[in-house]
Amino acid sequence: MAFNFIRAWLRTIFLSPYRLLRALLPKYTTPSRYFEETQVASKSSRMPKFYHDDEAWADMAPLPQDDGGLHPLAAIAYSDEYSEAMGYLRAAMAQNEFSERVLGLTEHIISMNPAHYTVWLYRAKIIAEIGRPLQDEIAWLNPTALKHLKNYQIWHHRHTMIDALGSPDGEPEFISAMVELDSKNYHVWSYRQWLVKRFDLFDKPEELAWTHGMIEEDVRNNSAWNHRYYLVVGGREGKPSADIANREIEYTKAAIRKAPQNQSPWNYILGILRAAELPKSTLKDFATEFADVQNPDHVHSSHALDLLADIYAEEESSKEKAAKALELLATKYDPIRANYWNFRKGLLDQPKVAA
Amino acid sequence: MSLVSGPGRGGMAGMPVEMQLFVDKHVSYIQSLDTRKDELEYWLTEHLRLNGLYWGLTALHLLGHAHALPRTGILDFVLSCLHESGGFGAAPGHDAHMLYTVSGVQILATLDAFGELEERVPGGRQKIGKFIAGLQDPETGTFAGDEWGEQDTRFLYGALNALSLMGLLELVDVEKAVQHVHSCANFDGGYGTSPGAESHSGQVFTCVGALTIAGRLDLVNQEKLGAWLSERQLKNGGLNGRPEKKEDVCYSWWVMSSMAMLGKLHWIDGDRLTRFILQCQDPELGGLADRPGDMVDVFHTVFGIAGLSLLKYPGLEEVDPV
Repeated sequence: MAFNFIRAWLRTIFLSPYRLLRALLPKYTTPSRYFEETQVASKSSRMPKFYHDDEAWADMAPLPQDDGGLHPLAAIAYSDEYSEAMGYLRAAMAQNEFSERVLGLTEHIISMNPAHYTVWLYRAKIIAEIGRPLQDEIAWLNPTALKHLKNYQIWHHRHTMIDALGSPDGEPEFISAMVELDSKNYHVWSYRQWLVKRFDLFDKPEELAWTHGMIEEDVRNNSAWNHRYYLVVGGREGKPSADIANREIEYTKAAIRKAPQNQSPWNYILGILRAAELPKSTLKDFATEFADVQNPDHVHSSHALDLLADIYAEEESSKEKAAKALELLATKYDPIRANYWNFRKGLLDQPKVAA
Repeated sequence: MSLVSGPGRGGMAGMPVEMQLFVDKHVSYIQSLDTRKDELEYWLTEHLRLNGLYWGLTALHLLGHAHALPRTGILDFVLSCLHESGGFGAAPGHDAHMLYTVSGVQILATLDAFGELEERVPGGRQKIGKFIAGLQDPETGTFAGDEWGEQDTRFLYGALNALSLMGLLELVDVEKAVQHVHSCANFDGGYGTSPGAESHSGQVFTCVGALTIAGRLDLVNQEKLGAWLSERQLKNGGLNGRPEKKEDVCYSWWVMSSMAMLGKLHWIDGDRLTRFILQCQDPELGGLADRPGDMVDVFHTVFGIAGLSLLKYPGLEEVDPV
């Protein structure tokens, strides 16, 4: 505590005039080391903000970090701006203050450190307590989320807000902006799934059209394929109708023809077959387009070879072909996983177990 | 433990032809992490401090230098993160959350310090157990991270892991948790954060780990999942987290530990993966990066070393894949 007290005291005495000067003379201030560091945090040029000389905060004394004194593993040297802002937040939290000014304070801290989950939780409390319009919160959240793509807290906050708001309006546009920056971002896709479920968007034509657009853009986007599966099968009860299964099989075949060595649509098409209770042999002719065990130099897809091995293994008279396909995989088309393919080959000789 | 990345980069300086693990460099790298308090990134990563401490400590144990960090100092810090509720925050003054509670328990277990916990916080073990049990969703069986309710199979695994370390699994509905994990299985054989969410190696680890703790690996389509996991290996030897994504050292742990739990570790090429991980070292200042040429950090350091341990790299302590 003594250390903290001295630290705070030194800061007040010696640092304030310097800050004051810098605030008054922004044009002449050369970027200091400190300022560059702040940019790392907020990714935008801005002046640091302090509270001790702000009249709106004159009634509050910041609460210093209680890190148990000069603990060797815990003593934390904050930058001044962050440290002070956190001090005021701790003070506000200690007296349960829910107000516009504390809302602004959380925004300030989040701009410096968006991963501090305590700050987000307190922000959500403030919003509930002061009845801030949720649309305003979402409008603020959008650019913040775009700046911090991989942050868990922002997404959870968004969930809470949209759930309370009770409408997904505007969210597809926001998501489109997000995926433009990172088309496979796990948070974005999980969030989209949650929206589909929360607002029952399974049969909304725009939803399937969106996955189609994403797959058109990048046929290797596994997240888009997973979302499509969620819409068609995964998020629903029961098995897909014959029409839908057929539509999806033809759709996926076209995608595979574009890029035969692409794992995602192969997984997808097999998932559809299984959900529709169709045998793998449905795809025998299709798989042969990309791989023929009689013509081992012209295999265009190891996934086709893998599937053919399964199909042949099911046919009593084609065990040799199955063995040949697995051997090609182990020696030529996917040798890094030779042990796996050899394991599969070993299974061929075993008496068939009822599946 | 500081989560500050750098200063070194993995694989930048000329690597010797005979690839080796620079044990001493990594030990001093981890020791140095907490001396970097003048750097901005140090406090920006404060919300991960307790995780970082666990990662650093685990790496030291695997390297055979368990005593390179002061035991009393660690214990004091960990207990200073413990709340009255029985949950741990990331650092003193941070809210309690599942992720830090798990790290807190793991550190206490690593230091064999449950006795000291009881001395300093009477009834501490039960308190922590209750905090974790309180986060289970009675309807679905999954777990939230904190009172605010974000749910994820990461938290479910963490809960079972910490409770089993404390011998308190009976505080929760294990069967319900198991059924929830089962409902997260995907059409491709993998697992995601929640039912229907995309398969991801990290989440596969949490789900397979949870089922292993519960003794219910019989629910896993082991061949299919093993195949999916082995497909994570790329031509350069490294492993990725999802199809068509880049390789990253941390998946050496998520993918391989899952495969080890399924008994399928031999389905990937261990020699090539070993070479890949070793290329991610900073041979001068220590530490490992996500891939050669990037900044090192403690997260990738521990998962790279744990990966090498699973690959039976000579001289490393054996790691438990769960």
